[in-house]
Amino acid sequence: MTRYVMVIDKRRCIGCQSCTVACRTWNDLPLDIVYNPVVTEGTQGTWPNVHRDWTPLLCMHCANPECVPCCPTGASQQDEDGTVWIDSKKCMACKVCVNACPYGMRDASHLEPRLHRFVRKCTFCRDRRQMDPSAKPYCVDTCHQKARIFGDIDDPESEVSKLIGSVKTERLFTEFGTDPQIYYIPELGGKA
Amino acid sequence: MTEIDIHADGVEMVKSLCYFCHANCGVLAYVKDGDVIKIEGDPDYSNHGGLCCRGTSALLHVNHPARINHALKRVGEKGEGKWEKIPYDQAIQEVADKLNQIKAESGAEAVATAGGTTRTDDWARRRFLNQFGSPNGFHNALLCWIPTFMAETCVAGWSPFETDLGGAKCLILWGMNPGASTLGGMDGYTDLQKAGLKIVVVDPRYSETASKADLWVPLRPGSDAALALSMLHTIIYEGLYDYNFVNEWCDGFDELREHVKEYTPEWAAPITWLKPEQIREVARMYAMNRPGCIQWGCTWDQIGRASTTGSHAIALIRAVCGNLDVPGGDGMPGPSLGFLTDEEMEANECLPEEQKAKQIGSNKFKLTSWPGYQLISDNAKRTWGKTLPTEWFCEAHGPSVFKAIITGDPYQVRALIVNATNPVNSYGDAKMTLQALKQCEFLVTVDYWMTPAALFSDYVFPAAGALERPTIVTHYGATDSFMGGRRAIQPKYDRHTDMTFWRKLGLACGQDPEMWPWETEEEAYYHILEPLGLSISCYNDFVDYYRMYYPPLHQNKFITNGGFWTPSGKVECNSSILRQLGYSGMPTYIGCIENEIDTPEIAEEYPIVLTTGGGFMPYHHSEHFQMEGIRFLYPDPYFSINPELAEKLKIAYGDWCWIETRRGRIKMRANVEPEVAPNVVFAPRGWWFPERDGSADLDNPFGCLESNVNVLTSVDDWDCDPMGGSWANRGLMCKVYKCGEFDKDYKPSDTQFSIPGSSKEPGVTVMPSDQHLAREPIPFEVPQPPEEVPEGYEWVWQSGNLYTKDTHFRLDESGWLINPRTKGYHDAYTGWRYDAAGECLVDDETGKMYTMDREEIPFVAGIRCYPGAEAAPYEVPENLTWSVERGHAVLGDLAYVYDPNSGWLIDPETGAFHDAYYGFAYDAERGCLVDGATGKCYDMSYNELVAEDPEQAASEGAAATEEGE
Amino acid sequence: MKHHYWEMPIVIYLFLGGLGGGIMFLSAIFDFFITPGAGVLFAWPMFIALAALAVGCFFLVFELGQPLVFWRVWTTATAIIKWGATLLVIAMVFGALWWVSYLPWEWISGLAGALAGARGLFLGIAGFAGFGIMVYTGVMLSTLKAHAFWATPALPVLFTISAISTACAAIALGLGGWPVEFSLEAVFVTEVIHEILHIVDIVLVCAEIVVLLIMVLSFFGAGNVTAKAVATRWVKGKTAPLFWIGMVGFGLIIPLVLYIGGAGSAASSVVAPVLVLLGGLLLRYLCVYSDERAEIPGENRYYNRIAKGDEKFVSEWRGKENLY
Repeated sequence: MTRYVMVIDKRRCIGCQSCTVACRTWNDLPLDIVYNPVVTEGTQGTWPNVHRDWTPLLCMHCANPECVPCCPTGASQQDEDGTVWIDSKKCMACKVCVNACPYGMRDASHLEPRLHRFVRKCTFCRDRRQMDPSAKPYCVDTCHQKARIFGDIDDPESEVSKLIGSVKTERLFTEFGTDPQIYYIPELGGKA
Repeated sequence: MTEIDIHADGVEMVKSLCYFCHANCGVLAYVKDGDVIKIEGDPDYSNHGGLCCRGTSALLHVNHPARINHALKRVGEKGEGKWEKIPYDQAIQEVADKLNQIKAESGAEAVATAGGTTRTDDWARRRFLNQFGSPNGFHNALLCWIPTFMAETCVAGWSPFETDLGGAKCLILWGMNPGASTLGGMDGYTDLQKAGLKIVVVDPRYSETASKADLWVPLRPGSDAALALSMLHTIIYEGLYDYNFVNEWCDGFDELREHVKEYTPEWAAPITWLKPEQIREVARMYAMNRPGCIQWGCTWDQIGRASTTGSHAIALIRAVCGNLDVPGGDGMPGPSLGFLTDEEMEANECLPEEQKAKQIGSNKFKLTSWPGYQLISDNAKRTWGKTLPTEWFCEAHGPSVFKAIITGDPYQVRALIVNATNPVNSYGDAKMTLQALKQCEFLVTVDYWMTPAALFSDYVFPAAGALERPTIVTHYGATDSFMGGRRAIQPKYDRHTDMTFWRKLGLACGQDPEMWPWETEEEAYYHILEPLGLSISCYNDFVDYYRMYYPPLHQNKFITNGGFWTPSGKVECNSSILRQLGYSGMPTYIGCIENEIDTPEIAEEYPIVLTTGGGFMPYHHSEHFQMEGIRFLYPDPYFSINPELAEKLKIAYGDWCWIETRRGRIKMRANVEPEVAPNVVFAPRGWWFPERDGSADLDNPFGCLESNVNVLTSVDDWDCDPMGGSWANRGLMCKVYKCGEFDKDYKPSDTQFSIPGSSKEPGVTVMPSDQHLAREPIPFEVPQPPEEVPEGYEWVWQSGNLYTKDTHFRLDESGWLINPRTKGYHDAYTGWRYDAAGECLVDDETGKMYTMDREEIPFVAGIRCYPGAEAAPYEVPENLTWSVERGHAVLGDLAYVYDPNSGWLIDPETGAFHDAYYGFAYDAERGCLVDGATGKCYDMSYNELVAEDPEQAASEGAAATEEGE
Repeated sequence: MKHHYWEMPIVIYLFLGGLGGGIMFLSAIFDFFITPGAGVLFAWPMFIALAALAVGCFFLVFELGQPLVFWRVWTTATAIIKWGATLLVIAMVFGALWWVSYLPWEWISGLAGALAGARGLFLGIAGFAGFGIMVYTGVMLSTLKAHAFWATPALPVLFTISAISTACAAIALGLGGWPVEFSLEAVFVTEVIHEILHIVDIVLVCAEIVVLLIMVLSFFGAGNVTAKAVATRWVKGKTAPLFWIGMVGFGLIIPLVLYIGGAGSAASSVVAPVLVLLGGLLLRYLCVYSDERAEIPGENRYYNRIAKGDEKFVSEWRGKENLY
């Protein structure tokens, strides 16, 4: 089985937001839709003893997603490889899934024409991978810092498996029971 | 969602290069039916497939509705925004006629051109200007590398800017934030750091890069010169320098040691706000982890009057630590000796000497204009054999040109061509610059966008963008490597590339078509590349098969060269070129323009230190504010302020605040976070609001002043670097206060300009000519040659050597000329090259060869002859005889010439081969010898072959030939 | 952080859904158990209920991005919204059938007469469905566990109580109206029902006060960070005036006082029910707009800084081409 996950190396991320912009251009997103914001609390501490890190976000492609079972139309769904995606033709944009996601990673645009709005989210670039199975999500390719690593966690030889097996990783909001599949290597304390 | 299949039929992948910043990352453009449908980073290029916000927006850029797509002619009043779209060539002709008229009336120097950052083929601009006769081209070059480059070249003969990080143990990123400016390099730093490289970041801000550093040095903004001098002091007085290198390769070290004696870390501590121990720590870290690199940072050139002092000191830190041009150190590429340099494309010989003298600012800021360039360039020609381009490295002083437009001092500049810059936002003293643009008699803009400059223009020309033009990277024409990308699509609408603009304008002005032989960039680039002798037949071949050219890695060139590329051949700790220009040969401290120590009266009213000019994601300079996808993420200008200071000033996160210096005020929103010291604010550069109606407020078109940090910067002559002319962006003193309920709009009084910018009165209060410099020139008498210099030679006082004036070859003690490029010998009288193999002289221009007595060597049938020689200079086969008269061996009285290299006789008329024994003709087809008289065939051993079986004869003959060989 | 994905249309829908469902539920209770045979008295309230559900549905569908896809709701099994939609349809269909059976017009008398026989069945089904809708409006929110303030069992309880309470108020206002013909018996039964509703609503309003305060104050005192932040906003932050004065004061305490103190007066029979209805709407508003998620560190800063979508640069070049 193939199970795609992403490892995000916060030690390398410098908060340039290239992934955010790359994603918007590749997916031709409306302006108010951001699939993968890069967030930071800003510099912390007291000058000059300060510290800062960035958290690149995207859909967590949870193993137990909140957003799929709640969808009344069947538009929100999950592939065998773990990809959670939305069939835009089936979505009526009731936004129950938007409210169900603990990570705020879905939304429908307000800038699109009325009656043609649907909920969107990161699909791990499902379209790219369908056209070329070896393709990676665009944010991964475009990251100068190579802070985003994509791969199959079921393949013990994959880079993601090796990283998750060897470096301390964290996941966001595991308390919701969603079993998120984005693994963060923290800025401090992650031993390479 | 539009799903686009880049693997579909009819989609071509074009290897292109990004041109939205200087990293020039590789881009793969997927083109279908003449349109780019998607782009990706090139995984096989140095960016490893990475593209930043700017690069990934290329498609938005190419198709943006607000791009200028046609030549526009102003039909209303200036600034009214009323345009007529006219054919491109018609616009070119109209502009050319006007320029010619101005030239006829006021001289060519009344026409100037402004550029911004490297975005164009600037050799084409200079090629136009040189033929037109104007010395007044300029860019923002003085804020970006050029003064540093020139100072470094004065020290060691070229800028050591190519860091060899793979072998380095320590890297100082000084005033440089690749994490937000040029992302292409940052991942390399991160990888090397993981592998053990120590990274020191010198930055007053806890920048993206500083947050990943091993050692962060948070100095006071603008105090870089003090830090550099005290580091130099520490390295010298703690004995951390490279003794062997200094002894062998440095000149004037003892003077330098004396000179920096007073610059102790304790002296620098109050200036830099660092502890003396911190300064020692950086100095030791760099000096004790050799080899190491210091990466150039823009900051060095943006501190105003203290700029080049700092970069000069840093150049000396590198030098005394022996990190010049060594593996793991800072490599000095020198000009390209293979492909043509930008300088060779500029046609600088067309510009008359008297026009050079008219270059605005060259009487003040000599290092980066004709006076300094001439010294440096002549020296480079003598040492490297090629030189720097004049574009960037030898330019008019931009702010002084703007002042000349307003004041007519030193003379009236009447026309300005603005190409690839938005001067109000990128040049210092924005209010004065805006006034100059408004006031300029004839303004032409070539740009992607309707900038404030374009708004006031008489003609606006549409420029082709990154995907619409091929791109080459040669680092301002100052390096020996070359990278290239193809044009993905032809320019859309009526857009033209910059080279085409200058070429068309040149031709329309009446310039010689033979001087503009290349219709497209591809042709010009192929011309540039041709001397490399690569197996390519066009420029696109180069991109497809090579993509980049690096000369064989050559480090330690100063050893093979027998010295550095300075006039003295040594690293000059006390630069002779700087002294000759009237500057101190060693860096002498001067503070940044406004600071608590030198100008306490200013600090009292403006107690906060402002730093600006640094690059930040996702914008680049003043670009990309139109890109909605980017702007959405960063819609408003935010300046950084420490929470302590914010609390004191009752400023909360997101509040709109005024930032005010002596020169004006702007408003930005507060980003309250401790990334700057409690007494420092950091303001991003470039802000304007292209979405606004520019014509609605001509005092502040497109809001180009209201959040523009250049309203706060200073270009007054006494604030500019007296050597390089850099104006002051860093370490300014300001005050910050919240926008009040009744004081939140930008008022007309906020837009008033003045010269000098710090004048309390609006308008011109001091004429540019009456403005003094921060330092008085130091008189310097160039020593006179001890004996008369022969005609055609010049005497270089530093080395005492004679050089030819035209070719810049050195006259050696042996009486020969030495070519600096090849180190080959040339005849001093004729310039002919000495060919050791042939023991003769060669005129490379005609290809003719001469004897050592400069007599032309006769060749018959391509064989060198020695008429008049009594004895043959080679062994003559037994059947032949030496002909004194004809100068070669002959067979009887036959006309054939004996070739000693092949051992055959050659028929000078037909070029046919004959054997040297009987004179039989060699039949290559049959592989046999043929006796012309009898028609009989022989093999190579003169056995007659049977005529009945010519095939066998032939094969036997061939076999015999093989054996013979 | 980005939130308020659901806005006023959903607030109105949740309110009207609860109201309509509650009326149907109460109508059924009265008709079957308390005052059998008094069905026609509830015809006008049933009309109010049907109208409420119809308008609620309109707002629900209006809020959708692609309303034409709405039918797909019945193609899946798991989603709770599917059950909401189904209950709505059932309640509306059977409520309408029941209501039609009471219509006095000549032209429809045939149909009305035919339906009259199955009135009990219609009302039973509509009552069940109505009950389901009441509960559903709260359960739907409380299953969205990303929102700490919603994800509590107290919410469905609160919404249900509020729904019945507002239904009481609405029935009280509409009871015995058209098409009931004047008769002494009708007046008498109406009065009896009014009395019962009066007392029931007093109880419900008291219960609602208790449940609301328990929920809000327990979050305020001991909820997780997110719920606590919301509760703090309610108790003493930006929402406090709306909560204390609007919701608790005008929506609950004052009607309660009027119900008890002004028995028989217009204040009790008209003002109090209207206030209860407005209170019910305000409750939905306050709850729906309390959709804060746990913050991913830095998320608030990020969304605070990016554009909102109404900036000039967003609209300036939209849909244009080749300007210069």
